[in-house]
Amino acid sequence: MDTTKTDKITELTDGARVFAPCRAKCPVHIDVPGYLGAIGEGRFTDALEIVLERNPLPSVCGRVCLRPCEEGCRRCNLDEPVAIAQLKRAAADYGSYPTVKPGPSIGLSAGIVGGGPAGLTAAYDLALAGFDVTIYESEERLGGMMRYGIPNYRLPDYALDRDIDHILSLGITAKTGVQIGHDVTLDELRDIHDTVVVTAGLQASRALPIPGADAQNVLAALPFLAAANRGEKVDLGKRVVVVGGGNVAMDVARTARRMGADEVHVVCLEDAEEMPASEHEVDEAQREGVKLHCSWGPTAVAVEEDGVCGLDVQRCVSVFDEQKRFSPTFDPEEVNRFHADTVIFATGQGADVADLGLELTQRGAIDVDPLTLRTSAHGVYSAGDVVSGPTKIIDAIAAGHRAAACVLRDLAGRPEVLEELDQDCVVLGLVPENMKAKTERQRRIRMETLEFYEAVETFDEIEQGYTEYEAAREAQRCLGCTTGARLSREKCSSCLTCMRVCPYGAPGVKVGGFLYFDAETCHACGACASQCPAQAISLEGQSDQEMMRRVEAVLEDAGPDTTLVFSCGCTPIVPVILGDDIRDLTVTCLLRVSEATALRALRSGAAKIAFTGCVESNCRYPHTRDLVAQRIEAIRSTLAQIGLEDRLIVTGASPEEDVHLR
Amino acid sequence: MSLREAIEAGRFAVTSEVGPPKGIDVSEMMETAEMLRGRVDALNVTDNQAAVMRLSTIAACVHLKLAGFDPVLQVTGRDRNRIGIQSDLLGAASFGITNVLALTGDHVMVGDHREAKAVFDLESVQILQAIAGLNEGHDMTGNELHGVPDFFAGAVVTPDSKPLAPQLAKFEKKIAAGARYFQTQAVYDIDSFAGFMEFARARDAKVLAGIVVLRSARMARFMNANIPGIAVPEAVIRELDGSSDPETTGIEIAARFITQARDLCEGVHIMAVGAERLVPRVLDAAGLTEVVA
Amino acid sequence: MIVVRLKPIPEIREMLEGHSNVLLVGCNTCAAVSLAGGEKEVETLLEALRLAADAQGSDAEFTGGVIQRQCEPEFVEDLDLEGYDAVLSMGCGAGVAFIAENTDLPVYPALDTMFIGAARGFAAWQAECSACGSCVLGQTAGICPVTRCAKGIMNGPCGGVKDGRCELGDRDCAWVMIHERLERQGQHDNTCTPPKDNAAKTACPEWDMGGHRENVKR
Repeated sequence: MDTTKTDKITELTDGARVFAPCRAKCPVHIDVPGYLGAIGEGRFTDALEIVLERNPLPSVCGRVCLRPCEEGCRRCNLDEPVAIAQLKRAAADYGSYPTVKPGPSIGLSAGIVGGGPAGLTAAYDLALAGFDVTIYESEERLGGMMRYGIPNYRLPDYALDRDIDHILSLGITAKTGVQIGHDVTLDELRDIHDTVVVTAGLQASRALPIPGADAQNVLAALPFLAAANRGEKVDLGKRVVVVGGGNVAMDVARTARRMGADEVHVVCLEDAEEMPASEHEVDEAQREGVKLHCSWGPTAVAVEEDGVCGLDVQRCVSVFDEQKRFSPTFDPEEVNRFHADTVIFATGQGADVADLGLELTQRGAIDVDPLTLRTSAHGVYSAGDVVSGPTKIIDAIAAGHRAAACVLRDLAGRPEVLEELDQDCVVLGLVPENMKAKTERQRRIRMETLEFYEAVETFDEIEQGYTEYEAAREAQRCLGCTTGARLSREKCSSCLTCMRVCPYGAPGVKVGGFLYFDAETCHACGACASQCPAQAISLEGQSDQEMMRRVEAVLEDAGPDTTLVFSCGCTPIVPVILGDDIRDLTVTCLLRVSEATALRALRSGAAKIAFTGCVESNCRYPHTRDLVAQRIEAIRSTLAQIGLEDRLIVTGASPEEDVHLR
Repeated sequence: MSLREAIEAGRFAVTSEVGPPKGIDVSEMMETAEMLRGRVDALNVTDNQAAVMRLSTIAACVHLKLAGFDPVLQVTGRDRNRIGIQSDLLGAASFGITNVLALTGDHVMVGDHREAKAVFDLESVQILQAIAGLNEGHDMTGNELHGVPDFFAGAVVTPDSKPLAPQLAKFEKKIAAGARYFQTQAVYDIDSFAGFMEFARARDAKVLAGIVVLRSARMARFMNANIPGIAVPEAVIRELDGSSDPETTGIEIAARFITQARDLCEGVHIMAVGAERLVPRVLDAAGLTEVVA
Repeated sequence: MIVVRLKPIPEIREMLEGHSNVLLVGCNTCAAVSLAGGEKEVETLLEALRLAADAQGSDAEFTGGVIQRQCEPEFVEDLDLEGYDAVLSMGCGAGVAFIAENTDLPVYPALDTMFIGAARGFAAWQAECSACGSCVLGQTAGICPVTRCAKGIMNGPCGGVKDGRCELGDRDCAWVMIHERLERQGQHDNTCTPPKDNAAKTACPEWDMGGHRENVKR
């Protein structure tokens, strides 16, 4: 073993800001490994709280985020990325939203124009910072594109409302049905509030400037989706042609299917690989009977006396030029007509903010200073799609954070919020070869969904969510990147125990005899921390104090017969422990329970303790099982030496002896 | 001086051993010796054998000497330091006891006083060196002796030790340190013993082959498990197991070996381990009927 | 390093009987590396003692902490023993003794000091040295005959060796190993080693480097 390393290693030291790639790719840098670790132990409320630290819309994002995090998941080159987004949903589904209080009032008020994701996020941040916040929303309800753009089968109202209610519980005032620029001017708002943040999004549907585009039964994507989301009926006829290759086009097409169209055809410029729509949206659309026609460019809407009869198209030869710019070329010789009763354009969105009186860019977006987010009007900031053009919801949330941070710097004397957003971080690389060999391949747990033939009949939510057990198991696939061992040099006695028990070879010795832990290799199993005699190693969320806190919480009002069962979350089924009052505490490796904690539990209300579920076939770490067996034997021996051996229940821990399913 | 005479004269020497009692009643020990009077050249007296505390070897040797036997004082390094050993040796020599067998000694832990301090200030080689020095008229730090002893010192060797090389190296060291004769641990394989004797003869060493009289298969197994330095082979155990009169079979086995050894070495050392009454029968069966002076 | 191990807890409890406010002191050097007296083990023993006291209805109190080393005055002098009526040291014998020198309170050993040894891997150590004061390892191919030969003899093996194993059955015969290694190194020489100098250690109750380097008493 090479005990001295001189090339660069990534260590988790106090000063270093090391992010797992999932967290780095997330536009708001949610502590992904943190919340996955909590879910792995069945602590959904803890997980939800972690998400809420960076993202006030967990229920929404858990369903419809485009999940850039998953591309970064270090399991990508092992098996499949962890279902990070779907687990976020589980946290929101099963965890309890915390009670939040607005910060102490700083005597400033903010007006937010637009109640979509950017606006809601900015409102949330400013209310927590002590601002008095009012959101102005032109629609009847808050939500923006989340409510009026995304169909209910992907994002049902109840899920969106859960997040919105949580945000509003900070005492934010929502004024709906108010359009700024029409019902109230921007200047009036500036009089009322100390600052205004415009997060109006892109409300204008762009159609193509082709003949027939203004005919009846030619619809625009956004109003169509909004109508559907409001539960309004739209007469589409039998055949619908949707123009566009993005996710909005897919939403429109699938919504059209649900609103009675027998045939829905999607026509887009791009070929199948180039289509901006996400693969699984396209898959699902096709499964629901939507027909996809790639590489066609519309030339006209064919109109006859009784209305629209089709869409004329020509072959699109290429979409992007060598510089990857949008510059489609066509072959006018190859033409076609798609017959249709209704044509719906899903070909882009634009800002509709001319009435605000702010300076706009050439594209019609609000012009802001990119560093300060200030618009041409003093005290007015802008962020989100209305500035940047169409992005993902999570980008809008990031924009909302940034807008609030700019306001806090300029008005509340708090520059550190913006500085923190802009801090650099070190990102972990790929899983090294030696660790790949030691990590079991596990397929991602598939979420239960409605069958496509059921789904297409209604707007009911298609994805059914994970069960708590499924969520815990899927979360346990998380490698715990960056939540691994952190060494306190002052306490370390260089005993090398960590090096000897680590299954992955993460600890090493530097020249001079100092230990280090390589975060690229560490799997956060906790074996090192569990054995370190000097207690010099800590892992996020795995401290003895934290464990004792959980023990005390579980043992609240314990009786004379209470048995505390420490069970390994990796095993779904555990042998039944007989007793009158069994309380379960799930951990993702029994090593996290120190001997001291186990003994203390017996003084904190547990008449007996038990350890179950440590089973070879379920264990996700190589040879930590031996350490667990040693730990349990040490506890038994100590108890025997003080005459209390009967207070430990030793189980066979074989899953074949199962009696109850977790 | 009988043992010394026999070896120096080249006569096939016969020795046996007696064990002192755990107490002060030496009558049984003397009765055992009587059974062997006139049949052996010398009688070894064990020294707290197997680390079991017994009446002191010197005292036992004195009892035997006074009764007209030629004792061999077994001296181990386990219980006394160099001062005590030299002192005891001088004490023995002052009674005319000059045959000595130098041994390292079984470990305290195998005996009945497990928590005693194991001394081992000297081991067999160093005891032989000390004896050589005393014979030369000085103690271990070079001080002159007032009255110089003349010890006839011997040591032990285990011809079938595994591994053999270190044992043979030690054997050579003992010769260099002054061992004039060797008594072996019990041997059962005549061929390997012959091989060993070639090595010994080349170094001019005088060897008495050790024979343990086995009385039953169970005894053999017990010794294998509990007595350090003894390894009775399976074939012999089977022979005893299969016999209807294992005691007689044991005598036959012993006699058979003595007969085979007569051409190979300078004598035999018979260990009867509590059944000294059998020794004369063994000697008879082996044809060693000459009475020793 | 010095290898120590925890005494049986009943023995520790018997020592502490009659004391009502005990301070456990761990040691972050050899005792921690021996996985016997580091902060973790202090905490574990604290919990065991408290649990045992609870179960017996005793109201004895136990507190604990760790110092870097119990054999250095700077670390030991820092100990605040105010309010305690006994100290339970979780250090090696030197630690126990040194703390005891620095207080009038009774100081008890929670550990037994076993040997100077080397690690064999996780949680396992082998005795290598007995601090005899007159090292002969140069002659024995690095295998200590005082420590690894059960009898501590200088010309081995003894007659009890069986299949390369010691008479006691629990270890390999050191002298067989010494012989083999010396042969491999071409260093085997069969001269008789004289008896050990036991005075070297006895004559050295303390070691003060000042001016004594060339005058090592032998």
